[in-house]
Amino acid sequence: MLIKLLKHEFRATARIMGPLYLILLAVALGFNFSARLMDTSNVVLNVLAALVILAYVAAIIGVFIVSFILMLQRFYKNLLGDEGYIMFTLPASVHQHVWSKLIVSAVWFIATGAAVILSVFVAAFNVSFLADLASVFPELFRELNAYYAFNGTAFILEFLVLMLAACMSFSLQFYAALAVGHSFANHKMALSVLFFFVFQFVMQLISGTLLVMLDQGPLQSLLSGLNFHVSGMPAIHIAMLLMIAMTVIYGAVFYIVTTITLKKRLNLE
Amino acid sequence: MAVLECKDLSKHYGNAPALNHVNLAVEPGRIVGLLGPNGSGKTTLIKLANGLLTPSEGEVLVCDMAPGKESHESVSYLPERTCIPTWMSVKQLLDFYGDFYRDFNRKAAEEMLAHLNIRLTQRIKQMSKGTREKVQLIMVMSRAAKLYLLDEPIGGVDPATRDYILSTIIGNYNPEAAVIISTHLIADVEKVLDEVIFINQGQVVLQSSVDEIREEKGMSVDALFREVFKC
Repeated sequence: MLIKLLKHEFRATARIMGPLYLILLAVALGFNFSARLMDTSNVVLNVLAALVILAYVAAIIGVFIVSFILMLQRFYKNLLGDEGYIMFTLPASVHQHVWSKLIVSAVWFIATGAAVILSVFVAAFNVSFLADLASVFPELFRELNAYYAFNGTAFILEFLVLMLAACMSFSLQFYAALAVGHSFANHKMALSVLFFFVFQFVMQLISGTLLVMLDQGPLQSLLSGLNFHVSGMPAIHIAMLLMIAMTVIYGAVFYIVTTITLKKRLNLE
Repeated sequence: MAVLECKDLSKHYGNAPALNHVNLAVEPGRIVGLLGPNGSGKTTLIKLANGLLTPSEGEVLVCDMAPGKESHESVSYLPERTCIPTWMSVKQLLDFYGDFYRDFNRKAAEEMLAHLNIRLTQRIKQMSKGTREKVQLIMVMSRAAKLYLLDEPIGGVDPATRDYILSTIIGNYNPEAAVIISTHLIADVEKVLDEVIFINQGQVVLQSSVDEIREEKGMSVDALFREVFKC
């Protein structure tokens, strides 16, 4: 059933994201031509080129904003709006509904990142000063590796997993706020916004308290009692894994809030 | 075995009761009119049976199950408003219903659509309100469900379309299923009903077969309704 939900969720979202990526790549191509034209002394061509460059920046910001709004809108409109009457009477569980929304949003966030990177390659292709700039990165990694035994692959992998977990947890916080806000009879949207900030505040309070506890009290004595020593690169990897674990827990809390609310307190208008 | 059963079912919105200790059972093979004035609790009852609302007290059972993933397979529900995603084309909507419901008869749906001259490439967005309602009803009636819950199926359409909708309902339901039609337009649906449930201010006032009403009280359902709900 999840596969079917995913199929239809992709169908509903691809019709928006697909054309958007095409526009982004087209503008990137325009950027590439413009960057070459910048060298000429023709004022009109220079102004035109500057406009295309601005359009490219706007397109990059645009795809990120649209993928964010789409994540919100699919949950709000498809599950909590009129379409919810159709969706919640399908032979599918609440868990399957939430996962289908979550997975599809995460895929679009990743695809948006990939499309922007691809567009940067298109924009920079064969433009001399950008190519020079790009050549700095392999050099940088080589140097880092030489001095600190920096494992670039592992770090990038950890970083990508962290980003994925962060995107999903971020979406779940919005889902939870929308689900709780819409479980009330009146002022559904206003309450959703309110709950988003309440959740934010509570989570900050908890993480703040945990941080303070790290520095004093039983947790601190426990940690110092363990007396483990890590240095350099292993410390970075441990920190990354810890951050991934924290992000997953953060998301799991909101997943539970979302699914329980949709199961026990569903209140479609 | 009853396909729909309410046991001491209550639902409050805040302090206002929408359903008040309702007990009823609907057997298969019946077309039942759920009749009551506006705001009497008809839609609340149907939404509870679909799991779109949770009961405040008591329980509602569909084919002996609490509403959920499993019961949804046996229920075909027409909401009181048009809810089909408007960005879809008719063909995409057929795919959607075909994918999710094993009992969906795509051929029957296509025949009904062709009969009403609705093209498969047409988008829901481009249709009039009445056409959207017809498309949604066709999807709902093209399933071989055990229970059809139709909330105001003839509310917003012209009399000719009303006749078409009612004949669609009678023509497509299988005799082992129960159909519950909620409406306040009694005269129009009376001829198709086997049984009626009168509901007022969240309480069942009467559950009776249409023949009994005609024989014992000597009046039509419409006349009885006017008498019971006299303002």
